[in-house]
Parts: sequence; C-alpha cells; structure tokens
Amino acid sequence: MAKLERMELVSRKIFRGRMKGERRSKRKGQSVEFADFRNYVSGDDLRFIDWNLFARMDRLYLKIFLEEEDLHFYTIIDDSMSMDFGEPSKFFVAKQIAASLAYIGLCRGDRVSVSSFETSSNPVVIRGKSSTHRLLGHLESLSCVTSATTMAESIKRFCVKNTGKGIVVLVSDLMNKSGYESALRMLVAREMDIFLIHLLSPEELSPEMQGDLKLVDCEDGDQREISISAGLLHRYQQTLAAFIEQAKSFCNKRSITYVPARSDQAADVLVNEYLRSKGLVR
Amino acid sequence: MSWISALGPLQWLLLLVIPPAVLSLYFLKLKRRELAVPSTLLWRKTLEDVHVNSIWQRLRKNLLLYLQLLFLAILILACLRPGWSGQNRIGDRRIYVIDNSASMQATDVEPTRLDLAKKKVRELLSDTSADDVGMVIAFSDRADVRQGFTKDRNRLFSAVDSIPTTSRGTDVSEALRAAAGLANPGRSSFDNLSDIMVADAVPATVYLLSDGAFGDLGDFDVGKLKIEYISIGESKTNNLGIVSFAVQRNEDKANKLEAFARITNPGDEKVEFTASLELDGKLLDASTGSVDAKQEAGLLFELTDTDEGRLKLTLDYDDALKVDNVAYAAIRPNKQISILLVTPGNNALETALQTPRVQQIASVQVESPTFLDDPAFQVAALDANIDLVIFDQCSPKQMPSTNTLFIGSVPPTASGSDAAPSESNSNVWKFGQPQGPALILDVNRSNPITQYLEMGSVSIVEARTIDPAESGMVLMTSDIGPVFAIAPRGPFQDAVLGFSIVQATSGGVGVNTDWGIKRSFPVFVYATVEYLGGGITESSSPSVQPGWPIGLVLSKRFKEFKVVAPDGQTTELVRGDESRHTFTKTEVPGIYQVFAKGIEKPVESFCVNLFSSRESDLAVADSIKMGFESVQASGTTIQARKETWRWILLFALALLVIEWIVFNRRVFI
Repeated sequence: MAKLERMELVSRKIFRGRMKGERRSKRKGQSVEFADFRNYVSGDDLRFIDWNLFARMDRLYLKIFLEEEDLHFYTIIDDSMSMDFGEPSKFFVAKQIAASLAYIGLCRGDRVSVSSFETSSNPVVIRGKSSTHRLLGHLESLSCVTSATTMAESIKRFCVKNTGKGIVVLVSDLMNKSGYESALRMLVAREMDIFLIHLLSPEELSPEMQGDLKLVDCEDGDQREISISAGLLHRYQQTLAAFIEQAKSFCNKRSITYVPARSDQAADVLVNEYLRSKGLVR
Repeated sequence: MSWISALGPLQWLLLLVIPPAVLSLYFLKLKRRELAVPSTLLWRKTLEDVHVNSIWQRLRKNLLLYLQLLFLAILILACLRPGWSGQNRIGDRRIYVIDNSASMQATDVEPTRLDLAKKKVRELLSDTSADDVGMVIAFSDRADVRQGFTKDRNRLFSAVDSIPTTSRGTDVSEALRAAAGLANPGRSSFDNLSDIMVADAVPATVYLLSDGAFGDLGDFDVGKLKIEYISIGESKTNNLGIVSFAVQRNEDKANKLEAFARITNPGDEKVEFTASLELDGKLLDASTGSVDAKQEAGLLFELTDTDEGRLKLTLDYDDALKVDNVAYAAIRPNKQISILLVTPGNNALETALQTPRVQQIASVQVESPTFLDDPAFQVAALDANIDLVIFDQCSPKQMPSTNTLFIGSVPPTASGSDAAPSESNSNVWKFGQPQGPALILDVNRSNPITQYLEMGSVSIVEARTIDPAESGMVLMTSDIGPVFAIAPRGPFQDAVLGFSIVQATSGGVGVNTDWGIKRSFPVFVYATVEYLGGGITESSSPSVQPGWPIGLVLSKRFKEFKVVAPDGQTTELVRGDESRHTFTKTEVPGIYQVFAKGIEKPVESFCVNLFSSRESDLAVADSIKMGFESVQASGTTIQARKETWRWILLFALALLVIEWIVFNRRVFI
C-alpha cells in the first residue's frame, strides 16, 4: 500500500478535468506555478498584474499561472466466463490490478472509475483516498457473468456514458470470438490514453493436456475434439504466439499500450515493476 | 527360406480379420474425456490446419495405427514360421539316442555332457514340425527306450528330461538295434518272402548324441536308418581314472594285506596325482604317483593287522570325470571252511586233506563211522556249521543239511538198480552192482572239481555205476559206466564217487585203486574242498561294474537277507532253494553290504566300481564306424531348420512396447 501511495498515474496526454486536481493542466488558471505573461486587456483581474514588470517596462503585463486539474482514470475489467480460469483466476488478478491502479489514482486525487463489461454503463466513480473502501467493496461485488454482451457492446456503452477523456486501462484476455478490434477502435476514437493489459493464464500459455479430449468452451459451449500430441501442442503454441503478436501490433498501430501479463504473476509485482516499466505509473 | 503354416484355415481367417478390425476402430469416434477450457478460440484456429474431415486425412500420419498394423503384420509373418535350410529336414521319424553312460558325467562342457546332450535334443525337438514323430532312447551298456514313437512333443521333452545319469559302461549296438527294430516295425522274423504283411521299412533319422566311447559297431545293419552322430564334449579333456583296485593277502605273511590299484591316464600329458586310501572312512595311507600320457600306473598299499573293513581309494586330482576317481574294495575276514570227514580209516584221503593248500582254507575234523550215531553229529549236521561232510565207506541215516561227498558208499535215499520200476523216482540216486576192474575213460572238464584231473593211468579194482538224481551231472565215466556224479539236493550239493580208495575188509585194509598215490588225487581233494566247501574266500570282495548283476552266495543258515546300497537304499532278499542269488540293483558305485536278518554284522559284501578304461578315456570320437561305413560327427552344430519366428515375435513385442510409449507420451503423431 505504501508503495502504491507513492506512485501516480501517468498520462501521456493532458486532459481537461472538471475539478481542481493535483495535475497541471493545459488550461491556465490559479495555481502557484507560473506559466507565462500576456498583455493586459481591460477587464483582467488586477490581482495578476505583475507590478514589478510594470515598474521596469512601464507597461501592464498579466502573470498567467498553470491551472492544476484532476485526471479521469477508468478501469474496465473483462468479466466474461473465460476470465474465471486459472489458479488464481484471471478475473481475481484483474481485480487486484484494477484495485492497485485505482488506489494510486485515489491517492493522487484523480477521478477513478471502475467497471466491468457488465457494469460499463453504470460505473462506480470515486475520488479521494477515503473512498478506498468503497472501491474495494465494488470490486468485491464484481463477478464473472455468462451474459451474451460482447466486448464491443460493452465498450460502446462505456463510451456513450463516459464522455470525458482520460486514461483507460482495459484488463482482458481478449478471448472473444467476435473480436476485440472494434472495441479498441472505439476507445481510440475517444482519444483516450489506452492501456491494454492482456492477461493470460498458464493453462492457456502452455496447456498440460493428455489423451483424447473433447474441449468445451465455457462461454458458448462450443466443442472441439482433439487428440493431444506433441505436434498439436506445437501448433497451438504457434497459434498463441500469432494471436499475441496480432494483438500487440494492432495496439502499437493505434498508440495503445499493450501490456501482456500472466495470471500466475503476483499483481503487486505486475503493478510495481511491470506497469512502471511500461510507463503507466511512476 | 521356407514357410510352414502354423495355423489352420479357420485360424488364418480369424487372424486376417484382425487388421481391418483395428482399422475400423480408428474410424469409429473415440469416447473422449470432456474438458472445460476458457475458450476454444485458439484451439479452433489450431485445429483448422489439421482437422480435415476426410476419413483418410484423419488416418494420415497416425503413427499409432501404423505401429499396430505393423505389429499385426509381424504376428502373421511369425505364424508363417519362416526358416532357413528347410530342405535339410530328413524324414518325419526321428529317433533321439542319448548316451547316459559314466563318461557322460564329465564336466568338460557346462554343466555336464549329458545335460548338453539333453539340451541339444530339446533344440532338435523344437525344430520339428507338428506332424513329425519322435522316439527317445537312452543307452549305457544297455538300451532304455524312454519314449516310443509319438507326436506329442511334451512327452518327448519330459522323456528327455527324465534320463538319469548312470555310472555304467557304453554299448550302443543294443540301442541302435532297438531303434532299427522300432523304426522298421514291418521287419519280419521269417525268411519266407511270401509274407505279404511285411511293410516297407520307413526311413528314419537317428540322432546319436554321445561322446563316442564305444568301439566299432561291426557289421551292424542300420536298414533304412540315417544316422546323425552328434559328438558331445571337448576332444582334449584330461582325466585320470582308476581301472582296477583289489586287495590280496600276502602269501608269505598271513597278517598282511596288499591293496593294488591301477591308474590310467588317457590324456596327452603326464599327470601327477595323490591317492588317499581310507579304511572305514578313516585315512589309512596316501601315496603320490605319476602317469605318463596314454599309460597306466600301478599303486601298492600294504596294510597290516587289518582283517576286515571297507577300503576307499580316492584320487586327489581335479578332472572332468569324478566317478572314476574313486574305487572301493571290501576286505573279507579270513574264513575257514570246516570239513567233517567220517571214515573208518583212509590214509590217502587224510594225507590229501593235510596239504598246506587245504590247511590254508579249511579245517578238517576226522571222525569214525560210529560218530554218525552220536547226537553231536545230528546237531552239527542240522546246524549247518559244517560246510562239507565227506562220508568215506559209510553213510548216514539222514542226509545232513550241508554239502556232502560220498566215497565208496551211497546216500541213504539211493535205490538200487534192481529195485522195482514202480518205485523208481527220478529224484533219487541209482546205483549198479559193484563190478571191476574199471578204467576211467572220460572226465567232465567243465566242472571245477574234475577240470584239472588226469585219470588215464588210474586203475580201479571194483566200482559201481552211478545214475545221479534229477539235475545231476556225471563227472567221470568209466568203461563200465558213470562212476562219479554230482547232483543238487535243495540248496546243497551231493557228490558220489562210485568206488572207494581203500576198502576195509575183515582181513584189514585193502587198496581198491591206485588213485590215492597218483598226483591227481590231492588235486581232486583240493578242488572238492574248494568247490563243495563253499569256494575260496578271497580277501577282497567281488566287484562288478555299475548295472551288472552279481551272484551272491548266501549262507544256508539264514532265510532272509537285506542288501544295503552305498546310498542307504535297502533291498530285501529271501533265499530260495538255490544258494546263489543274482542281485541286479547295482547302479550306484560303492560298497554293498548283505545283512542276515537278526545279525548286525554283514555276512557278505561286494563292491560296484566303474573300472572301465574306455569310460575314463574322455576323448570324443570324431566318427563312429559301422561296418565299412563311417559316420562323421557333426560336432556342436546340427543340420537343423533355423527358425526365425521367435525373433520375429520378439521384434513384435518390442514394437508393442514402442507403441505403448507412443500412446502414452504422444511423442509424435
């Protein structure tokens, strides 16, 4: 927790906030941080006239200060049934990541919004360190659902609801048969700073199966009959590598930060070291 | 390469159904284990490359299927029994003649020659086809048909396994005759060529497994037999063997015994050895010696103050054959023949009984005819303590229970020739009236009593003809008829001389013949004492080769006996009318002791020793000669079908293991 408190969320873009926050804004305003001078025009607040400069130059200049703003930080957790796999489950790890990042945001006074695909139209929006318990309570209440809502629909609902710009962290395994591309495109269109944490379980990365099996998809009940063999496993690895590579290149092309993660990796390690190296926190 | 089908048509059909059945199993859907996965997204993409719905595509690259089909193909190949040089199989009748004589106990090949021979026969048996018939004959100095012709291989196998080791000599001719007789059952014993029942001789192959320690077979006619001689053993094998061991009394010193042994060395090198002599299990003496190659050497041990006991001579030399390194001999106590002479007076006879030779073997008691009425005679006669009673010019009222010699008198049961024919009995002696003079014309040379007698110059004043009782034998014939005969009486023998040496008359003693002063008379007396008195008691017990019968002279005093073999086996004997009993259970070398019932001390003993220089010679014959033919040894290799099906099956098994590994590990599709 102490480590998290020292961290802050980093946005590569500077967004306009609604309330005074702890971040410098592009907008000029009232703060102690000097930004520039400009000529006085009638109607300006006389308090910001730099009298020292007037004495030297005999002309009125107005001091402009940088406005400090808050940051909009959104976390979206994939709550499809596929996230319920792994030991610990991917969903649990995703919630840990979301909690860690949200806590960092709360400590810095950012506007933190946490939601899952299911609750994307009605996210919990909190601010301030004192809301930590509310954050955790909300995360606790989230669970994997078997709804038919696709990723694209959820993101669409999210975009409609949240008009503000900010940082979006999407934690998902991208195991969506209808594709993840359209969902990410929508977020990109909102000009948000997007981080995609691609969370995969060891069972997906290196499956340890034997014999003749009937694989049942836990989401749509799709069945695949396979006879495990070294060749098949080798081809699976190739497919997996291609899948990851495809997601990575898609993200890179659209300035989405792609962060691959394993569910058997501790969440604090992920946040403290991995996300720091990726530039999401510092 | 040749093929023998191991299966019948129906079995083949069943076997050929299996490969399509295996193939069809691959078409059928397997019952797969269900496994829930987060998403089949990646699997679907993976399988899209492989999973083509075509059935043949499904079988593509399925190593398991190929392994299973290959396994079946190999099984089928094994069932065809491919083999090499099948054309060497001869006939369908095979006779396995196995040597189990003493020399086959040699350990120059592992474990013994006999075991190697058995192993080779088992190999030969395994190579036969199901329709072949075989016969097993074991031979030593006699043939033993262990198993007659049969197709049942298991019976042949067990017959081979049951062949025991023996310590006997070797004589193959009987075995070959048995093989020829059994192989050619149609052989007629009649010379009549019109005998249409005579079947053609069936060709048969005799596999003779031996070390060849037998002589030439002479002009043995093998008929249609083909003999394959398989020599067993190493050709150069050193061995040392005792071929003779005997004990003799020293002629000069009565209390000294001499034990002789003869050692043979059939090998090619000079051998030095140590021989130890044990008396009743205790080391008595030891001696070292050496025998040159292909020579024999003698050993002499002097034994003092030894009257009886069991001797065992052991050669301390490590060679391949152990059975000929030990020899046994039993020292018999110096037994005296006791002779009762009942005579009114006969100087010639008494003098002849006083010779040193007779004194050495017999003690003589001389009594007058009045002794016959003495109760002591009755006791002595019934007790059979006396081995021989000589009645000179007198006759007892009742025949004693022992051997007798009548001189110039007749047994009490005899009848005269003038007796009525109705009273004639074939079991009694008959005598003619005294007449003379008589001249001996012929002497029976086959009887030990008369074999050395020269009677041509003997004159006889008066003699009577003798007709012996049933089974009797005339020993001397004169110009007036038989004058000396011998006949059995139960277990005893009676000899009757038809003329007296001297004749007591009222005027004194008159001489009836001049035989008493001839050289042949003491010879006659000695021979009579030796033969009718129970023979010479040699200091050493008789010895026979293993398996040979021995004639035992059983004491008349006892009825029941038992023979204890060296291995502790006892055989009960009941003495019949004959004093000699033939004992045949002499397989084990060693000292056999004969005990009378109720007597702790053995009454008789004999030894069984190998004593065969031919068996001790472990050289393996390269060939055996049969008349003018010679059969070369095929050595350790046998012309036989080389079967490969075992190797094929082994390969199939290895394949099965690989298939199992592939199935479990999925090392490769």
